[in-house]
Amino acid sequence: MARPSPSGLVDVVDLILDKGLVIDAYVRVSLVGIELLTIDVRVVVASVDTYLRFAEAVNRLDLKQDPEKGLPDLIQDMQEGGAKKKTTGALEGVGDTVGNMIDRVRGHGDDEDDDLTDEDEDEDEDEEDQEDEEDEQEEVEEEPARRPARRRAPAQRKRRER
Amino acid sequence: MNSAIPRQTGEQDPACYVYGVVSDSAPEPAAAQGVGDPPAPVVLVRHRGVAALVSEVDPTAALGSPADLRAHANVLDTVAQHAPTLPFRFGGVVRDVQAVTDELLDPFGDTFAAALEDLGDRAQFAVRGEYRQGAVLQEILAARPDIAKLNEQTKELSEEAGHYQRVQLGEMVAREMAARQQEDTSALIERLAPLTAAASANGVSADLAVDAAFLVDSGRRREFEAAVEELAHDWAGRIDLRLLGPLAPYDFVADLIEQAGGGP
Repeated sequence: MARPSPSGLVDVVDLILDKGLVIDAYVRVSLVGIELLTIDVRVVVASVDTYLRFAEAVNRLDLKQDPEKGLPDLIQDMQEGGAKKKTTGALEGVGDTVGNMIDRVRGHGDDEDDDLTDEDEDEDEDEEDQEDEEDEQEEVEEEPARRPARRRAPAQRKRRER
Repeated sequence: MNSAIPRQTGEQDPACYVYGVVSDSAPEPAAAQGVGDPPAPVVLVRHRGVAALVSEVDPTAALGSPADLRAHANVLDTVAQHAPTLPFRFGGVVRDVQAVTDELLDPFGDTFAAALEDLGDRAQFAVRGEYRQGAVLQEILAARPDIAKLNEQTKELSEEAGHYQRVQLGEMVAREMAARQQEDTSALIERLAPLTAAASANGVSADLAVDAAFLVDSGRRREFEAAVEELAHDWAGRIDLRLLGPLAPYDFVADLIEQAGGGP
């Protein structure tokens, strides 16, 4: 079992953006509104794009019954075709995690070559200008040949200004 | 902080970023680096038996870089190893130290103190896991002949001709997987909750098989960790588990305040 330390950015984000006491509830007069650049890491399950990738994965999985071609080969196949990934630590072996089938938005590695055109329903938002950060826990698996581009939106939210 | 270096006209005074609240007997977080670029040191602002963990930030600069997010969590998790800590959500900025004292610690000091006492020496642990793609899909095909049949049918079809069926297939797989996530998360909670003071399951997300948080007494920590190890072993090849912690009690702090009865 993995005990990542320090925690990967994905795990940190889940803990500190949605949870904890909200200072706005306590401090009303002297709250300073600052601009927060945050990542929305939610992955929407119910999207056609996600379904198609589940279907593709299960279609491919069946090939496993071909004695000539076991799962390791399949994973290899999935990683080929211009695939680029970055992985270490707990998520080692991206090829065989579910995250591989769906958009791994949580990753925001060095995938500068994404198109910005697609408006699929996944809530794929990534930070801008954060590409230089070393994130051991994130990986981005690109399969450009058959996968719609990720939408990259700078998730800039203006917090209240006072 | 107002006594810092004189600033040019027009430049704003630094504001006060708030990480969380501890007891005023907590040690100074000497080595902790705060959010912002460059990061300022984290200090304690003490008042009425409690203390806020704060650092100076430039109120005109945006926050939220990976370094900022990590710094926020790191400050809280580090302090939480030595003293009970009430974590605040990322991004809370107050005008100055005076405001932290007057508007946060003075009116809510008693509530914070009661919540810190309730928390005691418990720490949060988060258990998260991801499915092995191949294993879970095989399970689904074996358990659902209708999915297996549709899978066979769609394999024969061209991309265009099979589009609708593939969407349908993927949706069925996704639903089946969501059902398994709920089942597995329930099993996780059932197994670990008896060893803990509190448990909280996070909602199903597309990429995690299980996701739950636990509040663990320091005296039962080893027992809890051993149980997670055992579960990881039982699920080996199917779910890859990871254990995060000890952490500040992000998932439980709202309940602690509520129980203390004096929230805003």
